[in-house]
Amino acid sequence: MSALRADARIALEIARKDAVGELRGRHAIVSTLFFSAVLLLLFGFALGPDSARLAAAAPGLLWLAVVFAGMLAVSRLHLLETDDDALEQLALYPISRRAIYAGKALAGLAVMLLLGLLVLAAVGILFAVDVGAAWLPLVATVVLGAIGIAAVGTFYAGVTVRLRAREVMLPLLMLPVLAPLLLAAVKATAAALAGDPFGDLGAWLQLLVAFDVIMVVAGAATYGYLLED
Amino acid sequence: MPQTTIYVSPRSLGAPDSRPPSVVTTDLARLFAGSPALAGVSLRIEAARTVALLGSNGAGKTTLLRVLSTAIRPSYGRATVDGLDLARDADLVRERVAYLSHATGLYDDLTARENLRFAAAMYRTPEAGGRVARALSDAGLAARADDRVRDYSAGMRKRLALGRILLGQPSLVLLDEPYASLDADGMSLVDHLLTAWRDAGVSVLIASHATDRLAPFLDGRVVLERGLVSAVSGDGVTAEAPSLPGAAPVTEAAR
Amino acid sequence: MKTRILGFVALAAVAVMLVVALFVVPADLNQGDAQRIMYPHVASAWLGYLSFGVTALAGILWLWKRDLRFDAVAVAGAEIGVMFTAFAIWGGMMWGRPIWGVFWQWEDPRLTTTALLLALYVGYLLFRRLTDDPERRATRAAIVGIVAAVDIPIVHFSVEWWRGLHQTATIGSPDRVLNPAAPMVFVGTLLGTLAAFMLAWLYFMIRRYQLARAELGREEQVRRERIEAARAPHPAASPTEVAR
Repeated sequence: MSALRADARIALEIARKDAVGELRGRHAIVSTLFFSAVLLLLFGFALGPDSARLAAAAPGLLWLAVVFAGMLAVSRLHLLETDDDALEQLALYPISRRAIYAGKALAGLAVMLLLGLLVLAAVGILFAVDVGAAWLPLVATVVLGAIGIAAVGTFYAGVTVRLRAREVMLPLLMLPVLAPLLLAAVKATAAALAGDPFGDLGAWLQLLVAFDVIMVVAGAATYGYLLED
Repeated sequence: MPQTTIYVSPRSLGAPDSRPPSVVTTDLARLFAGSPALAGVSLRIEAARTVALLGSNGAGKTTLLRVLSTAIRPSYGRATVDGLDLARDADLVRERVAYLSHATGLYDDLTARENLRFAAAMYRTPEAGGRVARALSDAGLAARADDRVRDYSAGMRKRLALGRILLGQPSLVLLDEPYASLDADGMSLVDHLLTAWRDAGVSVLIASHATDRLAPFLDGRVVLERGLVSAVSGDGVTAEAPSLPGAAPVTEAAR
Repeated sequence: MKTRILGFVALAAVAVMLVVALFVVPADLNQGDAQRIMYPHVASAWLGYLSFGVTALAGILWLWKRDLRFDAVAVAGAEIGVMFTAFAIWGGMMWGRPIWGVFWQWEDPRLTTTALLLALYVGYLLFRRLTDDPERRATRAAIVGIVAAVDIPIVHFSVEWWRGLHQTATIGSPDRVLNPAAPMVFVGTLLGTLAAFMLAWLYFMIRRYQLARAELGREEQVRRERIEAARAPHPAASPTEVAR
């Protein structure tokens, strides 16, 4: 059990290091948040001005914005490791590969939670949906979605960080894998906003939990192989 | 230059000859995109030796160091560090090996102190706060410890990376061109470290062109040429011919 | 030689089953002759899934045993899988057009899942091309393949639930054929087509693997030659005891 605790401490240290580095560095988190706002505006232009149509589409637009902006944000955390080959040095410490993955995924989760909650609020304002009424299931959905995107995004960011053509490979690999998360999150959001008329909110949330668990395990198990060369 | 504080690992205690050899490689080969950087290195370095790794550019020195540090896997052959197999026990090897490469692996947006604190957390260094402070002062960076590494010169980064090694407890230190980018003070830091490591029974393998400067510290030398050992000399360093048929034997002086 | 026999047998089996599916089996009461394409469409889709399973499993075996032949199996699985999956999607669209009036129906779970499978495959193959070194490529591809394969069951369930919410009739599925009440001739045709296509799949897999294996062998040969060349004595060097 103490090996697990040691791993957890290492992961937290890595996450903390990422947080400090990112906050201090290139202000990319702010840019990513702003990017998601711009996306929502564009959605409004593309699908509006009929507010009924926008309100109906709001769950989908919310999660599209979170997925696209989130992809950028999580990949940035791996960019931190390109400072003077820091990723290679990180792999040389006597730490488990799982802990490295967990640390970077935790940092990604922090960013995704912030992003998700802000986009939720923005969607409420821009597309006239009442997010306050069903805030508990909505927040639960955002949290579960954030975990999944962080888990998958951290994995694929690690996979593509040292490749050429990484800007296009990351979305190309990641988005199909995220399809079930997108589906479940949108359905859960729509159900929550409508007051769960068909009683399927629970099922979609369960699917999200299953996705998260499977992806975290798969990511943690395979991430180490990226670090050997 | 103040004294340098090496924390002796329990593994480095005991008479060198009773400990397993620091490095044993058997036919170690590594290819990049089809072309061999190492073509069959069979080398043995006994414990507590300081050895220079010599050879022209492209001879395979950096590749050998990177394989021994576990940064890359070999294409063929095997290697052990302190008797531990690199492939099977890589995590145990990492506890014992420290590697200074051309790149420093430091985070630009963190301060020197934060970089070392992070390293101390990764090494699980006991009394991290004190050891970090001592490492900073040993490296001569105490005055600029709270500046971001982004603002450091190449020489200062090198010194910080050397200070980082002091946070672990290696029994084998791998240095790739340690004197590069350093001024006179920085170079004396390296000299002091070499002396301290020798006194602590730590093995050091140094890839360098600075043979004259290194001479007083060395127990032996290994010369690489085109991915193979072409000569060895000194105490506790031996090499063998690669074992593919039709191969050229290493010179008699090696045996 | 044995592979060639397999090839002929597979060809014959596929031809026979296509004739059966297109002409012998009675047409569906509701959908008419358009329904006949269901047999090769479903068989292809299943083989697409099987191929990806093979690719993922081969990836795991590479990571464990470090034998590049497993990577050859993985790439064979991915390429053959793309073939069958693409055919399955085409078949699905050909089937859908006369029945639904449109080429694509989002509510058909198999069509959407298979489309996602195709996206995962293509991503995997494109990803492979970015790494030249065979061992690095095998390792990176293996982990991408594993994570993608792990995703497939989740996709399947999520799309099934998605479809389940809308109570519209499941026009496009083989469930009407695969239930216990269906006449044996339909079930038999489906299974027969699957068996025939599986023979074809096996043939293609073996051929593709042989190609990949030959490529591997050539690369290995080149590597060994380069290592031997590096070990051959070179006249310029006269290594001696290095002076202290």
